[in-house]
Amino acid sequence: MTPLLEVKNLKTQFLTDDGLVTAVDGISYNLFEGETLGLVGESGCGKSVSALSLINLIPNPPGKVVGGEVFFEGRDLLKLTDNEVRAVRGDKIAMIFQEPMTSLNPVLTIGYQIGEPLEVHRGATREEALRESVNLLAKVQISEGQTRVKSYPHLFSGGMRQRVMIAMGLACNPRMIIADEPTTALDVTIQAQLLELMKGLTREFGTSLIIITHNLGVVARYADRVNVMYAGRIVEKGPARDIYADPRHPYTIGLMASVPRLDQDTKVKLIPIDGQPPDLLHIPSGCSFHPRCKYAVERCRFDRPELTVVSENHEAACWVDVRK
Amino acid sequence: MGMKQYIIRRLIYSFFILAAVSVLVFAMVRLLPGDPIRAAMQQNVDLTDDKIVQEVRARYGLDKPIHVQYVIWLTDFFQGDWGISLSSGEPVLHMFLRRLPVTLELFVGATLWAWIIGIPMGVLSALRRNSWLDASFTTVSVLGVSIPSFWEAILFIYLFAVILKILPPSGYVAFFDNPVQNLQSVLMPTFVMGTHAAGSFARYIRSSILEVLNQDYIRTARAKGLREKAVLIKHAAKPAMTPIVTIVGMSWAHLLSGSFIIEFMFAIPGLGRMGLDAVFARDFPVIQATLIVGALNVLLMNLAVDIAYGFLDPRIRITK
Amino acid sequence: MSESEKPALATTESLETRRISQVGMKALVRTLLKHKLSRLGLTCICLLILMAIFAPVLAPYHPNDQDLYNVLKGPSKEHWLGTDNVGRDLLSRILYGARVSMTVATFATLGAIMIGAFFGLLAGFKGGVIDSIIMRTTDTFMVFPGLIFILMMAAALGPGMKNVVIAIILFGWTGAARIIRGQVLAVREEPYVEAAKASGASEWRIMFKYVLPNSIAPMIVVTALAMGAAVGMEAGAAFLGIGVQPPTPSWGRELRTGYSYLERVPLFSIAPGALITLAILSFTLVGDGLRDALDPRIRGEGKKIK
Repeated sequence: MTPLLEVKNLKTQFLTDDGLVTAVDGISYNLFEGETLGLVGESGCGKSVSALSLINLIPNPPGKVVGGEVFFEGRDLLKLTDNEVRAVRGDKIAMIFQEPMTSLNPVLTIGYQIGEPLEVHRGATREEALRESVNLLAKVQISEGQTRVKSYPHLFSGGMRQRVMIAMGLACNPRMIIADEPTTALDVTIQAQLLELMKGLTREFGTSLIIITHNLGVVARYADRVNVMYAGRIVEKGPARDIYADPRHPYTIGLMASVPRLDQDTKVKLIPIDGQPPDLLHIPSGCSFHPRCKYAVERCRFDRPELTVVSENHEAACWVDVRK
Repeated sequence: MGMKQYIIRRLIYSFFILAAVSVLVFAMVRLLPGDPIRAAMQQNVDLTDDKIVQEVRARYGLDKPIHVQYVIWLTDFFQGDWGISLSSGEPVLHMFLRRLPVTLELFVGATLWAWIIGIPMGVLSALRRNSWLDASFTTVSVLGVSIPSFWEAILFIYLFAVILKILPPSGYVAFFDNPVQNLQSVLMPTFVMGTHAAGSFARYIRSSILEVLNQDYIRTARAKGLREKAVLIKHAAKPAMTPIVTIVGMSWAHLLSGSFIIEFMFAIPGLGRMGLDAVFARDFPVIQATLIVGALNVLLMNLAVDIAYGFLDPRIRITK
Repeated sequence: MSESEKPALATTESLETRRISQVGMKALVRTLLKHKLSRLGLTCICLLILMAIFAPVLAPYHPNDQDLYNVLKGPSKEHWLGTDNVGRDLLSRILYGARVSMTVATFATLGAIMIGAFFGLLAGFKGGVIDSIIMRTTDTFMVFPGLIFILMMAAALGPGMKNVVIAIILFGWTGAARIIRGQVLAVREEPYVEAAKASGASEWRIMFKYVLPNSIAPMIVVTALAMGAAVGMEAGAAFLGIGVQPPTPSWGRELRTGYSYLERVPLFSIAPGALITLAILSFTLVGDGLRDALDPRIRGEGKKIK
């Protein structure tokens, strides 16, 4: 089966006052129709940037996608003109952002904002788009859509605004949704509601979903496959089950150990990962994780490991077999 | 929604401030040293004769207790009796009405210059950020804000009136007397008054637009696949307007200050000149009236700005 | 993490800046010096301050020395900028004029900021009736356009530098009060303030030790810009004859005198005005630089990646 999305060696850099930063350093992965992919890593590892790079949303200055290929529906998005990518954005590939409080325009009604993609991509009139907005609000379980469409965002809570964002993303029935930390800024109970909603919708419409998060719990429950990122590279990828049951990269192992689990004895200590996330201006040589790694050997210091298969559909970028 | 209540609230508040302002003006003017009576009478009357001084005092109502004076003054003011100028003896209201159109013409001209020069500069600077255009516009606008209007006036007068001799260095000709000469006489004054505001506009508009463009909701709009032009017009324009409306309102208030100096330098018989002369002559009825009208001018503009806010930003109608 | 609302503050009342503690003094100065324009502004201000302090040393003549045989002469070897209408050396008078401008600007701005900060702090921190009273008062004062107010005040108080300073302070404190109040409103919700309250710190202590230092970042920007404005106001007042009285040299006054001899000796009008402009420009550039250095929103200035 051909993947819906094929990312090959994506590389994105930023030119800051202090130097050139490689935020995404040659990542490759696939996304299939209808599946949910979790993109996990700590802040600053490049997961958000990699998503923005897919659809030409990296602001230049100071950033730029400098290499790689992104195949979507048979075309390399990186080679398309601005207008061609623009046609895909919001229509075939939708994106939901992290900050619901500021991601909606405060001076436009939510009905207008939800329906806007339809006006842009489907040539709908204002009235048609508004009508569809009411339907979309129902889909994301916001009641009284008729009155709500005329309201302004500031009257909505964070959780509701995020539902509005989801409705906006669904407007043109996209084949793929990228959700960048969709629930991080919300209360835990709301988080659960929202994720269930998204999962239900993607299942209903067969939409693929990339969830970007640093929350392992979210990924465990909702993702089919997981990519673990560190310092701009993917260090482990595979089915969610396998990653959790049998992590093969020291970083993933570290992540698992530092998060409490319901199936653990409460007396088990949480072990944080030693050290600090790397300064992207001065990435360590060899394997970028080696300074913090308990399993590191001499080779790790100067030889950077590539992703290698460690079990079925499961790859990790490490010289060491952590099972030993 | 709350629009009507909002406007009413702002109106009541403005009224309240106007009252406070009137008290302040009244007090301030009484602080001016120099007994105005003696100052005014210096030419004619023998000051040592106390009885005459008492008479004149009584005539001006200065013998009554101060709060009574205030009430009398306030009620008179609202009925159109603004007193008599101590310098010229002319009823103050008449002076005002005579000079108002002149100053108004200056205001309108200056505002036109400010909009024509300042707004495009600000918008283009923001959209072509860090380009050569932006750099030169920013430099020009910073200069426009920094150069004192009286010096700018001197430079212009020197260039156009002394060296090139194509514009009059001073003087005013009413529009209905001679349109061409009128425009010649106000060209430099309005331009000088307008450049400061233009510089202000350009700077403010630039930073306001840039601030809006950095907002998350602009990123959302782009993620929806809108053309950049649509992003600017549909999503950026309205939020950017609020601070712009602020600065436009604020510079209108400053125009009156500017008119003091400009009318003085270009010998234009407007309200500013009148106010300035009054300050030096301790002509307190005129000073009072000038301050009140100046304050009223600002209050009205603030009210207009607030109402505009209400239309532009739905959040405002709820908060405050 | 729970939802959080941003405080609803009107743009005019709050400058969003990072705290100085976040940026760090050293980083602040470094960023300031990096940009050409603010570097230029800072240099000029230093020059002007030096001019003011060392005027007696730098000036070739005493500014009040008249020489009625050499009236209104143009630039020459003896008088680099020429002489004025009673033969005084223009260069010397301008050097000394810096004293007035810098002194007035400094004291007026500092006074306005201190008074404004006090009331703004009080209003923002205490809230309630006190806040209302203070805010209504500032509203009332702010309704008067600047120059008018200052002229009135200075005319009421009488001639002299001190009174111009007082007049500018009376006018300027309102702006400072509003800005500080805006910052205080934001800061007082911060956790460390709550912590201080919980540990029993007195209100005054909290105000001055916790709230105030974290509220001053936008004030620094405003101070720089206000100094420029103060120079302009003093010069404008002096131009109209208010404030410093002759024979003390003041740039505004010199410009006024020069204006009457515009055709004969244009330099007399150009030189003082150029310096006034230079002073205001420098402060404005530094103010802009400070604001950019403290701006949390500057993303990706300048260079594109090829």
